[in-house]
Amino acid sequence: MLSGLQNPRQLAAQVLNFGLILSTAFMMWKGLSVISDSPSPIVVVLSGSMEPAFQRGDLLFLWNRNLVAETDVGEIVVYNVKDKDIPIVHRVVRKFGTGEHAKLLTKGDNNAADDTELYARGQDYLERKDIIGSVFAYIPFVGYVTIMLSEHPWLKTVMLGIMGLLVVLQRE
Amino acid sequence: MYNSLTRIQNVFGFFTTVAFVVAAFIAASDFTYDRTPSAHIKTTNVQVVKGRPHYYSTKKEEYAIMKFSLDADLSSLFTWNTKQVFVYVTAEWTSPPSSSASAKSASATNQTNSAVIWDSIITAPSSDHLANIGPATLKKLRKSAAGKAVDPKRGLLSLKNQRPKYQITHPTGRIAETGDVRLRVHYNVQPWVGFLTWSQTEHDFGRWLRMKDGMSRAFTLPAVKKKDEGKKAKA
Repeated sequence: MLSGLQNPRQLAAQVLNFGLILSTAFMMWKGLSVISDSPSPIVVVLSGSMEPAFQRGDLLFLWNRNLVAETDVGEIVVYNVKDKDIPIVHRVVRKFGTGEHAKLLTKGDNNAADDTELYARGQDYLERKDIIGSVFAYIPFVGYVTIMLSEHPWLKTVMLGIMGLLVVLQRE
Repeated sequence: MYNSLTRIQNVFGFFTTVAFVVAAFIAASDFTYDRTPSAHIKTTNVQVVKGRPHYYSTKKEEYAIMKFSLDADLSSLFTWNTKQVFVYVTAEWTSPPSSSASAKSASATNQTNSAVIWDSIITAPSSDHLANIGPATLKKLRKSAAGKAVDPKRGLLSLKNQRPKYQITHPTGRIAETGDVRLRVHYNVQPWVGFLTWSQTEHDFGRWLRMKDGMSRAFTLPAVKKKDEGKKAKA
C-alpha cells in the first residue's frame, strides 16, 4: 500500500499515467469535434421536450457538416440561442429560403408551441450559424452520470477522490 | 495485484465492453430489415385566412389551412429496434427572390420554402409509457397491442379530410395565391440505440427503398377568404 510514497520513480509514473488518461480523453473529444465540425460533438439531453424520442440523460451524436444536403425540415438539431449558453435539442419544422441565411424554425416534439418564445428578443428564426449540429445517432441513458454530477456537485468531489485514491493505491 | 479494487474495475470494464458490443449489433441489425414505405396524399380543402401570430400582436398575416387525406403504409419501419416513428407532412413551395425579406441574399434564384403542417408520433408498444398522453388513451393504446413487442399495424395510417396541426405563413406574412405548392409525407425512425434515419425521397439505400409516391399534386393557394363568405358557407 501507498507504494508510490516509498518510491518517487513509481509516484512519477502514476502521475504521468493519470495525465495520459486525461489527455487521451481530451484528444478524443477534440478529434471528434474536428471530424464533425461541431464545438460539442456529443451532447446529453437535459429536458423532456423531445419525448418520447429522447429522455433526460440520453446521449446524442452530432454532425455539423452539410456534405450531401443542407440542414432541412425534419432534422433534429442542437442550437444555441443568441447570448444564452444553453444548447437546445429540437426539430426543424419550417425552413424559408436556402443557404446560410435560410430562416429556420424549431419545435420540440413534446411541446405544444414552436420555439419562437425561446429565441432571443427580436429573433424570429434561427440561421444555420446558430446550429451546432444535427443528431445522427443515439445511445440511451449513458449520459445520466453527467446530469447526476451537475445536480449533485458533491458527487464530483467524491468521484475525484475515489479516482485519486485508485491511482495512488494501484501498484501498476 | 488481485485486490478487490482491480476486480471491481475489471468487472465494470468487461460489462461496458459487452454492453457496447451488444448495442452495436442491435444498431447494425437495422440495416438487415427491408423498408418498403409508401404514402398517398391529396389535399381536400385549402383556405387562406387573415390572422395574428399571437394574441397580443397587431401584425396581420395570411395563414394557409390545408386539409388533406393521407393513406400511408409505414408498417415495415417497425422492428425490434424502433422506439418511435415520427411522421410529418410538409408543404413545399418556391417564392420569388423579391419577396424575401433579407436583403443580404443577393442570389437571383427562387427561394425554396418548406413547412410542417401536420405531424404525429407513433410509439412502439414498448415505448408507449413514454408518450405524452392521458391515462385513458394510454390504456387504449396498450390494449391495441396487448402481448406484442412490435406492432407493425400502427404504421398503417388512414386519414380522411384531416385538419392541419399547424397553419403556416411565409416570413413576409403573405402566402395567398401562391402557386405550385405540394404536400409531401416524410418519416423519421427513432431507434432504441443506433442511427436516426429519415425517409429517402430519391435513392434506395440497401434494403431500404425510397418512399413510394408520398407527394401530392401541385396546387395553388386561393385568395384570402372573406369573413362574410365564411359565414355563408357555414349557414
